[in-house]
Amino acid sequence: MFTPSSKYFVGLTGIALVSAILYMFLINPSDLGAIALFGVAASSALVAGFTLFTRDNDAFTDEEAVAAAAHAPGASIWPIVFALGAALVLTGMATVPVVFILGIGVLFGAGLEWTIQNWSQRASADTAFNSFARERAIGALEYPGLAAVGLAIIAYLFSRVFLALSKDAGTIFFIVVASVIFAIGFLIALKPAMRGKATVLVAVAGAVVLLVIGGIAALSGERHELAVASEEDHYSAEHRECEVEKSEHYDHHANNQVSLRSAVTATIFVEDGKLRAQAIGIKKDIDTITIPRSLGTTVMFRNLDETEHRLVVNLGSHTVAETGVKEKVGTCTQLTGKKQEQVLTLLIPKPATAEEPYFFEVPGIEGQIKLVVP
Amino acid sequence: MDTVNNVKSPRRRISTTLAGVTGLLFLAGCATNAPQDTWQAKGPNAQKISDLQWIVFPIAGVVGVLVLALAGYIMFKYRDTGQPIPTQGHGKPTAEIILTIVPALILTVVGVFTFRAIFDLAKTEDTEMIINVTGQQWWWEYDYPVQTELGINTPIISSGQLVMPVGTKVLLRETSRDVIHSYWIPALNGKKDAVPGRIHLLRLEADKPGIFAGQCTEFCGLSHANMRMEAVALSKEDFAKWVAGQQKAYTSPADGTLAKEGETVFLNQCVRCHQVNGLKKADGTPALAAPDENVYSGAAPNLSHLMSRNTFAGAMFDLLRKNCRSDVWDATSEEFGAKYLAGVSESCLNQTDLRAWLRNAPAMKPMYADPTKLTKTGGKYRGMPNLGLTEDDIDKLVAYLLTLK
Repeated sequence: MFTPSSKYFVGLTGIALVSAILYMFLINPSDLGAIALFGVAASSALVAGFTLFTRDNDAFTDEEAVAAAAHAPGASIWPIVFALGAALVLTGMATVPVVFILGIGVLFGAGLEWTIQNWSQRASADTAFNSFARERAIGALEYPGLAAVGLAIIAYLFSRVFLALSKDAGTIFFIVVASVIFAIGFLIALKPAMRGKATVLVAVAGAVVLLVIGGIAALSGERHELAVASEEDHYSAEHRECEVEKSEHYDHHANNQVSLRSAVTATIFVEDGKLRAQAIGIKKDIDTITIPRSLGTTVMFRNLDETEHRLVVNLGSHTVAETGVKEKVGTCTQLTGKKQEQVLTLLIPKPATAEEPYFFEVPGIEGQIKLVVP
Repeated sequence: MDTVNNVKSPRRRISTTLAGVTGLLFLAGCATNAPQDTWQAKGPNAQKISDLQWIVFPIAGVVGVLVLALAGYIMFKYRDTGQPIPTQGHGKPTAEIILTIVPALILTVVGVFTFRAIFDLAKTEDTEMIINVTGQQWWWEYDYPVQTELGINTPIISSGQLVMPVGTKVLLRETSRDVIHSYWIPALNGKKDAVPGRIHLLRLEADKPGIFAGQCTEFCGLSHANMRMEAVALSKEDFAKWVAGQQKAYTSPADGTLAKEGETVFLNQCVRCHQVNGLKKADGTPALAAPDENVYSGAAPNLSHLMSRNTFAGAMFDLLRKNCRSDVWDATSEEFGAKYLAGVSESCLNQTDLRAWLRNAPAMKPMYADPTKLTKTGGKYRGMPNLGLTEDDIDKLVAYLLTLK
């Protein structure tokens, strides 16, 4: 009665319905999540209906479905892979999420392959036809799926190599690898006779080399500065050492996104050892920047000097409730190199007091730019 | 026969109604006292849009009428009367070429004028003054950064009414604290969206002193329709007076007055969200509002010099009584500045609406201000809540607010 596709969609409908009901009872009866799950159930039920009605639009012709003596199903690797997936899921639940996600992927892939294989081996008594039926059912998914997994592995291995090598060595490595791939491709294009076994041999050799190098790189870990920066969280955009920079490694380009740069309210320059500011719509330099309260506002810092500088914004002080100690409030950009720029996004809820006015400064540079929050 | 015993048939009734409504809509275009009429430009930017309309609308109108007339004619002439189906051809190259080239030429002509207007309106290099305009549910905040050449030595912050000098190229730097809004004063320029995280520029310039109405044109929630604004254009001399008035230091009401008691109520209730620059607490420290702790957008209107404005609650209500408001709105260009700068006197104060607002604001303007429904905003209001003030408190507050000139 049920066609292969309709079974899948009927199953999906059931899972979505059960999930929706559990979600409604356990999490939130009026949330969007429940609506989405019911939507999935409804749409998969609709598709299940269609597939049942059209019989998958995949009826075999009489000639194809030649009846013959029944063959016993062959051995299958998928139960073992499925079990591996289940083990990964359980391990992932106890260890790290990436293993859990990998397990889900393996579980899903193995389950699908197992189901299709099981179905195809019973499609008819003709093993050749069964093999053809299996190919038709899942071939269109297998090749792109395997290609995606293969590409992900290649990208992952390459990333391990680049993270292990220094920046310069990484550049050279990339140039060499790209040149070799290009040269081999060129040779194969020129010498059609090389296609076939030679191409396969080169591809397999390349994959083995990549596996070995990538494996070694993964085992040796990230290069020194990345390891240090990662341990001390120096590559976070939140990393701010507004006094003397103590960290050796940090992201010089933090908060330097195009999206932020397209909406700056004012730009502060350091040029020839002097501090100056400009605002949108005002032709001359300004000495006061006005920022509305409680509104995320972006100010750009552009260093046109020969040495590295950072922009610091001073936002008064506050008293720590537990200790009663007064602490300075403020933030800053990271050190900004010559002719480079960074942005600061400020969200200031209250105006300054007369005793502690807000202002921008660049350590080592004379002058201040007043910051007013009306 | 269409009628029997003077009773019109349904078809006749519908036709008559449609014709009547169409006629009324058509006649509405002749109104001269429509404050948001895009055909009544009061400044060079709006004039550019109006000029463009005079080119585009007639062309579009003629094309529209021709197409509709032709479609109607063809529908009537070739209606199904039982005739045989004519021979089906495969197009006429001459007709197709003409029907491609003619619209392309029309669009080219329209495009030339449209692009010229767009580029003209986008110019900002000759700006003479800037105002930061920040939208939030459901009011507009105006802050004037320091511009010493205009006499603005300390920032001015206001809401509801944007005040600007006549004949000055004013650049609005628009943004939003919560959702997307859109700023539109039809008499002075077109619309411009105020988008959180972005600064959009809109140029305004007024030819003569006067007051020009507008409203938010991007649906922004429950009280979108009540998110209004007014632009007030003053002569340069009057604008200088307005600036001086806005920078005037705060004066606390005299001890023993009702207004002084109102100041205490304000400090206890209103200062949680509303700032009055210069107001101090009983211990002498500045009373700093904390709208970020109570309001979803993080801001509430700054009420410094409230009575120098003519509106409140996002320009939904007038601070002036009807006759006083008409006196300002209908004033001649020469008289307008003095009448506007007079502000709101006790005799002109629209106490009815102001008291009702203080008594129960959510009843006056739809807002998400029900304390039982604030889970999604972390307990923060999107508008002014019902503070449960007593009539005594309201008397004191009204007396105090009247001193904020």
